[in-house]
Amino acid sequence: MSVWNYAVTAHKPTSVTHSCVGNFTSPQELNLIIAKCTRIEIHLLTPHGLQPMLDVPIYGRIATLELFRPHGEPQDFLFIATERYKFCVLQWDTETSELITRAMGDVSDRIGRPTDNGQIGIIDPDCRIIGLHLYDGLFKVIPFDNRGQLKEAFNIRLEELQVLDIKFLYGCLKPTIVVLYQDNKDARHVKTYEVALKDKDFVEGPWSQNNLDNGASLLIPVPMPLGGVIIIGEETIVYCNGSAFKAIPIRPSITRAYGRVDADGSRYLLGDNAGLLHLLVITYERERVTGLKIEHLGETSVASTISYLDNAVVYVGSSYGDSQLIKLNLQPDAKGSYVEVLERYVNLGPIVDFCVVDLERQGQGQVVTCSGAYKDGSLRIVRNGIGINEQASVELQGIKGLWSLRSSTNDPYDTFLVVSFISETRVLAMNMDDELEESEIEGFCAEVQTLFCQNAIDDQLVQVTANSVRLVSSTTRELLHEWNAPSGYSVNVATANACQVLLATGGGHLVYLEISDKKLVEVKHVQLEYEISCLDINPIGDNSNYSSLAAVGMWTDISVRIFSLPNLELLVKENLGGEIIPRSVLLCTFEGVSYLLCALGDGHLLNFLLNVNTGELSNRKKVSLGTQPIMLRTFSSKDTTYVFAASDRPTVIYSSNKKLLYSNVNLKEVSHMCPFNSAAFPDSLAIAKEGELSIGTIDDIQKLHIRTIPLGEQARRICHQEQSRTFAICSFKNCLTSNEETEMHFIRLLDDQTFEFISTYPLDTYEHGCSILSCSFSDDNNAYYCVGTAYVLPEENEPSKGRILVFVVEDGKLQLIAEKETKGAVYSLNAFNGKLLAAINQKIQLYKWMLREDGSRELQSECGHHGHIVALYVQTRGDFIVVGDLMKSISLLLYKHEEGAIEELARDYNANWMSAVEILDDDVFIGAENNYNLFTVRKNSDAATDEERGRLEVVGEYHLGEFVNRFRHGSLVMRLPDSESGHIPTVIFGTINGVIGVVASLPHDHYVFFEKLQSNLVKVIKGVGGLSHEQWRSFNNEKRTVDARNFLDGDLIESFLDLSRNKMDEIASSMGVSLEELSRRVEELTRLH
Amino acid sequence: MGSLLGDWPSYDPHNFSQLRPADLSSQSSKVTPVTYQPTHSRTLPPPDQVISTETRNILLRRFYQKSEEKLCRKRAASDHLTPEHRCKQPRGTLAEEEGY
Repeated sequence: MSVWNYAVTAHKPTSVTHSCVGNFTSPQELNLIIAKCTRIEIHLLTPHGLQPMLDVPIYGRIATLELFRPHGEPQDFLFIATERYKFCVLQWDTETSELITRAMGDVSDRIGRPTDNGQIGIIDPDCRIIGLHLYDGLFKVIPFDNRGQLKEAFNIRLEELQVLDIKFLYGCLKPTIVVLYQDNKDARHVKTYEVALKDKDFVEGPWSQNNLDNGASLLIPVPMPLGGVIIIGEETIVYCNGSAFKAIPIRPSITRAYGRVDADGSRYLLGDNAGLLHLLVITYERERVTGLKIEHLGETSVASTISYLDNAVVYVGSSYGDSQLIKLNLQPDAKGSYVEVLERYVNLGPIVDFCVVDLERQGQGQVVTCSGAYKDGSLRIVRNGIGINEQASVELQGIKGLWSLRSSTNDPYDTFLVVSFISETRVLAMNMDDELEESEIEGFCAEVQTLFCQNAIDDQLVQVTANSVRLVSSTTRELLHEWNAPSGYSVNVATANACQVLLATGGGHLVYLEISDKKLVEVKHVQLEYEISCLDINPIGDNSNYSSLAAVGMWTDISVRIFSLPNLELLVKENLGGEIIPRSVLLCTFEGVSYLLCALGDGHLLNFLLNVNTGELSNRKKVSLGTQPIMLRTFSSKDTTYVFAASDRPTVIYSSNKKLLYSNVNLKEVSHMCPFNSAAFPDSLAIAKEGELSIGTIDDIQKLHIRTIPLGEQARRICHQEQSRTFAICSFKNCLTSNEETEMHFIRLLDDQTFEFISTYPLDTYEHGCSILSCSFSDDNNAYYCVGTAYVLPEENEPSKGRILVFVVEDGKLQLIAEKETKGAVYSLNAFNGKLLAAINQKIQLYKWMLREDGSRELQSECGHHGHIVALYVQTRGDFIVVGDLMKSISLLLYKHEEGAIEELARDYNANWMSAVEILDDDVFIGAENNYNLFTVRKNSDAATDEERGRLEVVGEYHLGEFVNRFRHGSLVMRLPDSESGHIPTVIFGTINGVIGVVASLPHDHYVFFEKLQSNLVKVIKGVGGLSHEQWRSFNNEKRTVDARNFLDGDLIESFLDLSRNKMDEIASSMGVSLEELSRRVEELTRLH
Repeated sequence: MGSLLGDWPSYDPHNFSQLRPADLSSQSSKVTPVTYQPTHSRTLPPPDQVISTETRNILLRRFYQKSEEKLCRKRAASDHLTPEHRCKQPRGTLAEEEGY
């Protein structure tokens, strides 16, 4: 039963809505602060660029973000207001690097019509009041007292009902607002009001200006000494201040964002809806404005916010494309552009649709999204884990070990690749043509298996075999010295670094050798009580050639021990528990933190914090990486250390913000791996897998890997077809035809490997692609693409005509096989019982795929079901049909084969305006609605009365705070069949702000456990700005607000792992479980995404 | 050489001085900032800085303001004898005024 759900973010919001610049973290530091819907990011301006400081989750959707400087304060405060009428004022405490809440409050009113044009929050430049416009006809004032403290808020009636923008004017004796509004004849005007604080009322302001541009939508207040306001229209820009009025015409465009360049307000950057960036200049003489000038600078992403930073560098925040850091050059480039893009910040939003595919057939899902809008439209391939891009491979069976060697100690590149087999060792080397060919190192013993080899100091190489340790010159390649195992003993395991060799022979003998010039010296020998299973002496101290610690894994007592070097004194013994022996140990350092990693024979990995001075182990954690023994090996990429865990589920271990992270690698099974950095294959890895040796480069290491396919047009629907290995998308772009801008819509076919357009089917004028599906029909095994369309005519409120097009992919081309006209927009298409189920306006319609006499095929209507407002989203399972309606929530229909009819079984009687639906299991369905809530409903087939059976019972409610456009079954991660999380069903969702999230249906006992953890966490992790978690997650729409139920906040639960040790201990003890157990269970959850 | 656009403001000449355009074909800006998890007590606002809106609605506030004004005026005017009469003018005058 999928009633108990866990909602978690796999990819945080990336769509940027607000930004501002000021001295927030210190009076000397300049910060850029960015709002990404439910998070803010604090950045620091540095010589090297923007340095991210902090990502701050906010328990609300950010409606306003403003920096301001109260009187007498050395640095700026941050004002944040949320869409659910909460606000807070934050201050940065430089000493503790914490955010302090200076004030917070609730600014909702019991009665009031929320504004249509969004909420407005502004702060008087002289810091006397905060102004809020949240409801039509009301202006809310929060006054500051003379000590900068906030006082009780009050409302003032605002005559103007259709407000487009409000700003405070500079340099006024009393706080004065300028209001841009539309009257009931659709004409636009501005008006000023003084706020009389004592009377709590408006007083007519100093001036007003009637009859502006019909598209006027944005006000820019101009600082003193000029004062006044700039009014940005679609065809004109106007400056006025009561006495002066200056206007210039502009090329028709909709300005969406502005950024002030100069402190005196003489220049502004304007960004429009086509992504064009302009500079607006106010010309003036002796503080009197003489005119306006506008200059085209270049193109950026479509900006939602623009912040001038420093030294000609500007931040362009976008919700339609990637945000950018740009530089404004003083001279134009060859194309006439002054804009140079310095950096891009990936933004997946708006995710309008996506599909989950397994392109590499690895059993791991990848999400392909329709992202971005208009010219910034793109497809994004989002994959969890790390990709190895194979450069070369050769068939080689039975590899038992793999090492790379340099030909001299100081050589930057590796030359040799030593491959060990059960009864021989082969050496491969890069030849002059950059090819790998068989080679020889004369001093090595080639007739036996190599247990370990390594570059040593002074141009020497070390090879350890069962019988001996050989020291070889890397220049002459001749044997310099040999240490032989005592007769009757053979070396079982060995390890080495540039100066040291540690090996173990049968009988528990541990032998330590040191390497000097042309000599191996046995320094110490001890006998342990049991056999040794694995060893490591990777140097992690100050000396990169020498380790003062050795890690040793043991059979029989299943322990790992830390010895000191050179005298092999036992420092620490840690019993691992259980019966699985350690197979690989590794000493390593990530971000300055030292760890001991210990891999077991059953695919589990233990990690400990390691005290490098005492060898002490602490903070034990256990994770399951696979089911087979793991071999651990370090490698570096871009000056950072990583650990590769070779197993049946190869994993890269790395650290981010001092937390260990585990990323899957897109390979099936790896037995051995070593870094191989050659001139021809720089920064590569050599990998032994299933009878093959391959060399590949590794992607950037991060948890989610995103590849961008820019389209230059917006994709609205996507679907994948396995048989033709293609994607098909519905997309559109704006085209200029004879000076008129029109939308052109297309069906495009893309290769699923190269993502190139391979075929295009243009739709008719006014015809939009609304849905797309890959399916087959009964009695016809061909795979088809079915496309549902609508004719969107300017004079119609609702489409009355559409088409269903059936294509087949032939020779890489879309061939139209059949088309069927419909009486409305085909919002959804589903494969259903070998037939095609379409949602057309109010109706659900089933079509059969019929063979005509001439052998051609056609869609023939079989039956339908009326009774929806607009049936937008449809999902099916067996004979059941779940419909998400425009405004009538979810209903459940049943197809009756015998009668050839579709009937309604049950519905949810709430008035939810749906944005997506999905079937979680036979009985439970999930829906997302337009107030950013998720809810689940359950079918009540066992209920006693018809009335109850006809009602879908709401079982779960949750405020996600994101607008979900699509749910899809699937998983972003490899699911391990033996691990607990392997059995947890998940759906993925995509949102307008670029969030990719996961809803996981937990077993009931898990849910109860994590619900307890969540309630403990709420007490420890406080909402930034004093905002309440409980209120934030409560289901909320215009009609009702109720506490969240049967949904857990995965983001909060997983933040447990970021807490300090003593806070974690505190929570574990109040939960009554061990910290290790609690961490393991939370980490298990993090591996769902 | 002067530019058509004029110079760009500089607050700290060091800012961005070492920044070179990233290779835009690769993924840039990989550095993810630490996620903030406040556990300290100053996340809660000072008790006197939990702001709400005054409960009295605008109309009532207007009435009260009017009556207070009246009261003030009454007190201020108590020395004089005449002003009270202004409010008690014959209906005819008022009606006349409204007519225009």
